[in-house]
Amino acid sequence: MSEAALDLGSASRYKGLKPQATWRYVWSLLKFRPRYYTLMIVLRIFIFGVGGQLVGLITRTFFNELTSKAPLRFGPAALAAMLVAVALVRAGVIFTDIALDVHWWFSSSALLRKNLFERLLDLPGARSLPYSPGEAISRFRGDVEETVNFLDQVAFIPGYLAFAIVAFVVMLRINARITAIVFLPMLVVLVVSNLAVSALQRYHRANRKAAGAVSGFIGEMFGSVQAIKVATSEERMIEHFALLNEKRRVAALKDRLFHELLHAVFWNAVNLGTGLILMLAGQAMRAGTFSVGDFALFTYYVAWVTELIGMAGVLIADYKQMAVAFERQEELMQGAPAGSLVKHGPVYMSGKLPDLPRLAKGSEHRLERLSVRGLSYHYPGADRGIQDISFDLERGSFTVITGRIGSGKTTLLRVLLGLLPRDAGEVFWNGEPISDPGSFLVPPRCAYTPQSPRLFSESLQDNILMGLPPEHYDVAEAIREAVMEEDLEQMKDGLRTLVGPKGMRLSGGQQQRCAAARMFVRNAELLVFDDLSSALDVETERQLWERLFARQDATCLVVSHRRVALRRADQVIVLKDGRVEAKGSLDELLYSCEEMQRLWRGDLDNANGG
Amino acid sequence: MKIPLRQYLDLLSGYLKPQWRRAALLAVLLFASIAAQLINPQIMRFFIDTATAKGPLSDLRNAALIFIGVALLQQLVSVAATYTSENVGWTATNALRADIARHCLNLDAAFHNKHTPGEMIERLEGDVTALSNFFSQFVVQVLGNAVLMLGVLALLFREDWRIGLALGGFALITLLAMGGLRNIAVKHWTASREAFANFFSFLEERLAGTEDIRSCGAKPYVMRRFFELQREMLRRDRKANLMMNIMINLTEFLYAVGNAAAFTAGAWVYSRGLISVGTVFLVFSYANLLIFPIQRITRQLQDLQKAGAGIARIQDLMREQPKITDGRGGVPQGSGPLSVAFEKVSFSYDDQGVVFSDLSFELGAGAVLGLLGRTGSGKTTISRLLFRLYEPQQGVIRLGGIDIREQRLSELRQRVGMVTQSVQLFNATVRENLTFFDPTISDSTIMSVIDELGLRSWFATLPKGLDSEIESGGAGLSAGEAQLLAFTRIFLRNPGLVILDEASSRLDLATEQLIERAVDRLLRDRTGIVIAHRLATVQRADAIMIIEDGRILEYGPRQALLQDPGSRFSQLMQTGLEEMLV
Repeated sequence: MSEAALDLGSASRYKGLKPQATWRYVWSLLKFRPRYYTLMIVLRIFIFGVGGQLVGLITRTFFNELTSKAPLRFGPAALAAMLVAVALVRAGVIFTDIALDVHWWFSSSALLRKNLFERLLDLPGARSLPYSPGEAISRFRGDVEETVNFLDQVAFIPGYLAFAIVAFVVMLRINARITAIVFLPMLVVLVVSNLAVSALQRYHRANRKAAGAVSGFIGEMFGSVQAIKVATSEERMIEHFALLNEKRRVAALKDRLFHELLHAVFWNAVNLGTGLILMLAGQAMRAGTFSVGDFALFTYYVAWVTELIGMAGVLIADYKQMAVAFERQEELMQGAPAGSLVKHGPVYMSGKLPDLPRLAKGSEHRLERLSVRGLSYHYPGADRGIQDISFDLERGSFTVITGRIGSGKTTLLRVLLGLLPRDAGEVFWNGEPISDPGSFLVPPRCAYTPQSPRLFSESLQDNILMGLPPEHYDVAEAIREAVMEEDLEQMKDGLRTLVGPKGMRLSGGQQQRCAAARMFVRNAELLVFDDLSSALDVETERQLWERLFARQDATCLVVSHRRVALRRADQVIVLKDGRVEAKGSLDELLYSCEEMQRLWRGDLDNANGG
Repeated sequence: MKIPLRQYLDLLSGYLKPQWRRAALLAVLLFASIAAQLINPQIMRFFIDTATAKGPLSDLRNAALIFIGVALLQQLVSVAATYTSENVGWTATNALRADIARHCLNLDAAFHNKHTPGEMIERLEGDVTALSNFFSQFVVQVLGNAVLMLGVLALLFREDWRIGLALGGFALITLLAMGGLRNIAVKHWTASREAFANFFSFLEERLAGTEDIRSCGAKPYVMRRFFELQREMLRRDRKANLMMNIMINLTEFLYAVGNAAAFTAGAWVYSRGLISVGTVFLVFSYANLLIFPIQRITRQLQDLQKAGAGIARIQDLMREQPKITDGRGGVPQGSGPLSVAFEKVSFSYDDQGVVFSDLSFELGAGAVLGLLGRTGSGKTTISRLLFRLYEPQQGVIRLGGIDIREQRLSELRQRVGMVTQSVQLFNATVRENLTFFDPTISDSTIMSVIDELGLRSWFATLPKGLDSEIESGGAGLSAGEAQLLAFTRIFLRNPGLVILDEASSRLDLATEQLIERAVDRLLRDRTGIVIAHRLATVQRADAIMIIEDGRILEYGPRQALLQDPGSRFSQLMQTGLEEMLV
């Protein structure tokens, strides 16, 4: 698989989030479940700032009591008991924290995924993804997780800070000089880390991209199993898969190595600090101004502060990774209004799921006339598309669009219905211009069966209804109109039959008729279908047209090259090279239009071939 | 659900053996790191005792320097260890991924009809990655930390047997507790991963079908399902995390108990004057050193639980066997056309009615058969059976006189070529789509096939020629163009039997002529079965077979049937002809 995704205009212009934008996104996400997040912060302050500190101070007291001649205030047994008590309380708090964390984590990741998914569903249907679904999935998984994991870590910061501040204060009061020298290397560390940050980002992006390539390829492979078997290409596909995996391994190792080296730099600077404590404390201990208890406390603190500095370093690195993750998610949003990725909304983690809107057909949906003027669209980076298409269709009419391969028939339908974004032109519904056909030309106004319909691995009934309430919509009638009733009788589970991924358990013809039933059940004013009858034999096709025309008042816009359809048409539109070559009734066109004659004759030559 | 250790070891040895050198290096590095950790408390003890006894400053300085040196060494070793372990992990899991993918690709169509690509992504990425840490770290960490613990205990015993006993007892209790909890979460992690797989498979399917969703106005429905599946993920993950929570908290608690034990034992022995303050500090440091290995072992056990869930699911996958397997093979096949024979073949798909029973017919080598019938009558099924994508319940199918079950699948499938109505395309270049990522097929070969097909003019419209990108599912091409690609694919090989299943149904009439000429060339000196709904397509057939409800209604030479007014074929030609007359 090659590196560059298809150029998609807005997606390719997008060059990455600015740093302020990243912080705004983080802030918006943090405000999503504020009570959970705040509580997590508070609990973590307790765990580290209180619990962590108590452990250190108890330890110090223990050693001081051992070495001093003064009478014991607590005694080792009591101190031991206190340790255990603190641990118990801490355990309870950690338990609560984790429970809260899970809920918060899922809510936050659900928000990101929801916004991503809704955006993709709102884009023109035939152009929603700039790359394969599998590649997009890696963003829904890995990138969302990285983002939320980072924020989870951020919630630890106040706790770390609380610990560090108390530690700092206590240490200063014991011995300011040693304290200062311990903290010096820490500062060096932070400076170094900031310098290395941009290199980290580059490696991480490469790593995630390689992961996306693997993910995407898996999706492709398992989406085309039959073709692979038929071509006996299993081994070649696996070889390519292994190649992609190898690329990822190399990218991941680079990413990790850099990460670890940075980490090592931190730790060494800190160890130097510990060594310095040893150097300086020696003198003070000999002089008696620095007790063994103090020493124990300082080493405890250094061990902890080491950990915390390390985590801070990791946090900085993770921040950069998270920025990359946000970037990749934003890319998927493809030019949505700024901040849509993190816009708050319900995620339905509990309580009632959202109701499905009931859209009964009313008089406002009635179609009298559909008009198209100057409709144009150009595939980016290619020499294909449609140019300046104009036509009208009246209520109750049957319009057929025809033309040779690549003449733009499917493109026209898609642009008309807003499944591709038009470059120019207008569409009018009863004389009113439609600004957003993708949202307007949907049931109950308009229903569409694409050339290659997609079924989902659900039951037959669910694929047909797709959320419509069965009590208000007639599935049986839709199946009859799609000439599928006999097939249905053959199926053991009837409407509950599972159709398998992409509808694979049905034959090609059944898949297409199922999609037709899906269109019919919606009782739309305008029926649009692209090459519906190509998967049907003569008999079945005939029946389908018959039943369709038995419906009074059906307004249809059809792409076809079948004579049955062309003869029935009230209006035939011939496309050539993306333009309207001719319009009119079949007889008129056969008389006057050379292209129509050619198309018509092609079939005749075959028939007379003897 | 307990995962027996045996299974882990089996999986481990298979994938680590080829990397034994790296694994050995990893072991050495980890042990070096352990040794460094054991030394430092000794340095500290020396330091404290020397300081409290007001020993020479130079000794103290030296102790400090050695401490720094050892710590530095430990860091470098740690980086090397992490790198090596990641490497081992990736190499092993990549090999595993390839094996699983290969295994699954070779499974029958029945399997693939039940599992979405999104699900496969979750298995190969999610489940296998959960195993990554297992491969790279587990044994060494567990062994290494066990050695660390033993080292610590030995050194503690050396100081005072009572201290050794107290902390030894503590270590034992901790280990037993951890061991007992090893498997509690596996079942829940498996369920959790399943919910993840369902969610992502749902997502992948819907993302591939946005056109349909949009044009049906089904977005609210899809979003509702989305939320439903998310919710299920949360529910199951919560359960799994609860178990993990228990483990983590137990560790925290035991940590405190360990320190408490060190306090009491150390203080007691010190009060008897048997050890110095420095030694108490040593005991205390080592007690903490006992906790870290236990923590690490615990973490490995946690990952093991996740890996266990992954292993369980992977094993389920690997346990699926294709029912359709290679025959003995090695039967010499000529390169010429193959004859076809069906002998009393009966077949039905899993859960649907019988497709055919007792179907028998013969087709001579080099002849072209036109196969007609209503949709669902069994035409496509015949082609699938010829490819052994499915297997008949009864009867024998022969190609070139040889039972197809006796051949190796690859041999069989290389000799049969098929063009179907739905063309599966990848998100890759045109070249890769034609060659299925085979780098050995040269561009000149591809271009000569394109020329032979007469497709040069169409090819010229592609923006980057062979390097043009095709979107996933072929969204950028029209169905007709996809058909042209499918034809090109088949022409790149040399089949003895060609099956054209609705091959030209998506083409417009004028362009179809183009293909028809090429098909003529393809069918010369080859046996052909042309399945069509359109009468015009079967014009080139030598024989005609009409199938209805899984039975042969009519079978005979085309001309004869055409001239017989009573034949079904001639009647069909009549009704069909009606629409062909201007």
